[in-house]
Amino acid sequence: MLARVANNLFWMGRYIERTEHLARFLSVNYFTSLDAPDELSRSRQFVLRSTMYMSANEIIDSDKILDEEDVLFNVGLNVDKPYSILNAFTNAHENARSSRDLISTELFECINRINHTIKGYPADKFVKSGLHDFTSLVIQSASEIRSKIKSTLLHDEVYAIIMLGIYIERALQVSRIINSKLSDAAAAKVIHGDASDGSYQWATLLKCVSSYDMMRRFYKKTPVRESTLEFLILNSKCPRSIKNCLSQINKYINIISINKYAANDSAAFLIGKMKADFDYKLMTDIDENLEVFTGELIEKLILIAEKLESNYFNISDVAVVKKQTQKQLQK
Amino acid sequence: MKDTNKLPLFSTYEFNPKLYDELFNENNEVREIYKTLYDLFSSYSVEEYNRLNAQAKASFFNLGITFQVYGEKEVKEQIFPFDLFPRIINNKEWTTIEKGVLQRSKALNLFLWDLYHDQKIIKQGIVPIDLINSSVNFLPQMKGLDPPEGIYNHISGTDLIKHSDGNYYVLEDNIRCPSGVSYVVGNRNAVKHSLFGVFNQYNAHTVVDYGSKLLETMESVKPKGVDAPVCVIITPGVYNSAYYEHSFLAKQMGVVLVEGRDLFVENDFVYMRTIYGPEKVDVIYRRVDDLFIDPLVFRKDSMLGVPGLFSVYQKGNVTLINAPGTGVADDKAVYTYMPQIIKYYLDEEPILNNVHTYHCSRKDELSYVLENIDKLVVKPVDESGGYGISIGNRLTKEEIEAVKKTIIAEPRKYIAQPIMSLSTHPTYIEGSESFESRHVDLRTFTLLGKDIDFVLKGGLTRVALKKGNLIVNSSQGGGSKDTWVLKK
Repeated sequence: MLARVANNLFWMGRYIERTEHLARFLSVNYFTSLDAPDELSRSRQFVLRSTMYMSANEIIDSDKILDEEDVLFNVGLNVDKPYSILNAFTNAHENARSSRDLISTELFECINRINHTIKGYPADKFVKSGLHDFTSLVIQSASEIRSKIKSTLLHDEVYAIIMLGIYIERALQVSRIINSKLSDAAAAKVIHGDASDGSYQWATLLKCVSSYDMMRRFYKKTPVRESTLEFLILNSKCPRSIKNCLSQINKYINIISINKYAANDSAAFLIGKMKADFDYKLMTDIDENLEVFTGELIEKLILIAEKLESNYFNISDVAVVKKQTQKQLQK
Repeated sequence: MKDTNKLPLFSTYEFNPKLYDELFNENNEVREIYKTLYDLFSSYSVEEYNRLNAQAKASFFNLGITFQVYGEKEVKEQIFPFDLFPRIINNKEWTTIEKGVLQRSKALNLFLWDLYHDQKIIKQGIVPIDLINSSVNFLPQMKGLDPPEGIYNHISGTDLIKHSDGNYYVLEDNIRCPSGVSYVVGNRNAVKHSLFGVFNQYNAHTVVDYGSKLLETMESVKPKGVDAPVCVIITPGVYNSAYYEHSFLAKQMGVVLVEGRDLFVENDFVYMRTIYGPEKVDVIYRRVDDLFIDPLVFRKDSMLGVPGLFSVYQKGNVTLINAPGTGVADDKAVYTYMPQIIKYYLDEEPILNNVHTYHCSRKDELSYVLENIDKLVVKPVDESGGYGISIGNRLTKEEIEAVKKTIIAEPRKYIAQPIMSLSTHPTYIEGSESFESRHVDLRTFTLLGKDIDFVLKGGLTRVALKKGNLIVNSSQGGGSKDTWVLKK
């Protein structure tokens, strides 16, 4: 497989996964806040800030008043905001288009059709009444695409690279969502003290990564800080836990890695080491300084993604001159 | 000619009896070959047909059989206009077309060999040296070079029309990067999905075998000493209007679709950059123009080619399809010598007609052209996409004078031909919700390889969607139709 195309497929996987997390966070965070138990969590400004932090990685000045429709439009459909769901999906589509000779017709058709739907979604409807409809559409679309990936592609290195993109992005997004909700919970505690209903924040966090029902099934108890974080970070059976993602990343990197013994600074080595570390980690090891732990986790995942790019997708940085490309005579 | 007995979708169908209408004969009766199809289409209500048409268009859109239009901010995706009413060609006519386009492709191949070797045809005075000296598409770098198996134009696209006399005429040979074959397959699929019932009653040849034949052709011209050749297609990239076709062909053949930046040259061989390091490439179907394939030899500013590629080609370590420099032979001026070229190399009479051509470079012909511009089509020798063409009977007096001036300024650049009447075919016009007659042509696709000569039994029927328009190119608002070649 061409290194350039491998890079495109990797990013296709990442962007598909990213759109789902952006959409779900936006939807869950918004709708659960409407009847939240404490005042802070119900505050529109608090919710909008939390949305901006998660989507755009922006911390908004406390004296700035955010406009709800503006924020929704920016994170959903604004073509000028690189962090919008629209742009994330456009990137997924562009990456799929540049490797459409390798992926199945069914997969490309699915991505292409969804791209038309997202691009054609009326912005006005979205900010006024379509938030649930649009985010559900995006979430379902991501599942549909993943199912086409699993059921129509050869499970070879093309597949492994897409899955690597999906799981690295999933681990990153889940880490960031945990991070963002930890900070929301801390803020609520400062204002409302122990009177704040902690379980509300933890239930929201679980819903943001669509793990609420399964967590309830696993623990049979109302979610609290420790059980929620244990479930999302260390549960090996939860398909969205960090531990599970790491083990999938390790599995797929072994498919594309031809060297049995990976070099010390290779992506394969780093991920293997990280996975081994997680295999024997306990909640008590990380609970004391969770913010630091999630911060480091994100950094390590980013490093692995960069290593993957330099190990396998080492592409020349020649810019494609669009003009020449468009002018080629195709009589 | 109006006929109130015609059924809903055809109730306003009019055609010019002086032209050849493919559906109705001169007595306003449906031609035998179209009867079943006509009855089927006539049985649709406007609503039903609109629904079928919308479904077909949506399938093109969703499958991404599209081209992109780049605006300042937005990228718009558009489908090539497509018409569901297929064009039918009977077996007898097709046999002539097939033999005729093969004959032309073979003759052009021998002509190219000669031009880049001994130039006997020029020395013997059959075609003038001017033809080559003044052609920008003649590549001196190709002189004396022997392409594998002696083949230059592995892929040819021949454009034909049916004149009012009911005969086919060749308008143009395209032997650089002929495009459109993916639409042949796309159109066929759309028609199959929409009109599946009618296929039982027409025994039409399949068009899906093109990909495997093309791969066979590519493998047959592998460089010497290669056992199992690695074949690739090189595309200018996703921004090219024909990118869909490039990816379609790569997928059909199961070969890698590369861009120039994926390839590099080392020790006289071409390699592609894969996730496991370099892999040698043997045969390249290039959809990049001659002058862009290698910045070391041709255009230095090319970002689309591969530095050093041409020297690997010269050493015989890679095959390029089509060979560089074929453009010299699909020049419109060379076209006019086709009857002589066929006779010279094959010792055969041309099977397909050539349209009579006046060369503005010849004094007597130039004066005829200048006096009769209103009866002629004037074409620049080296333009594609239907640009720069003036159709005499559509011009105002002032425009005629302007055309005269342009010709006189550079006579070598222009040829003129009698105004040919392209046949008409029923085409659904959304605005009027009915079928109207529109001009069509036919592009065939021919493959030449070692022991392979293949013509795709189908081809692309292109439609000029504007009423009365004769220019069918997609860049000028043309659409296309599925083309059925009948087995019997």
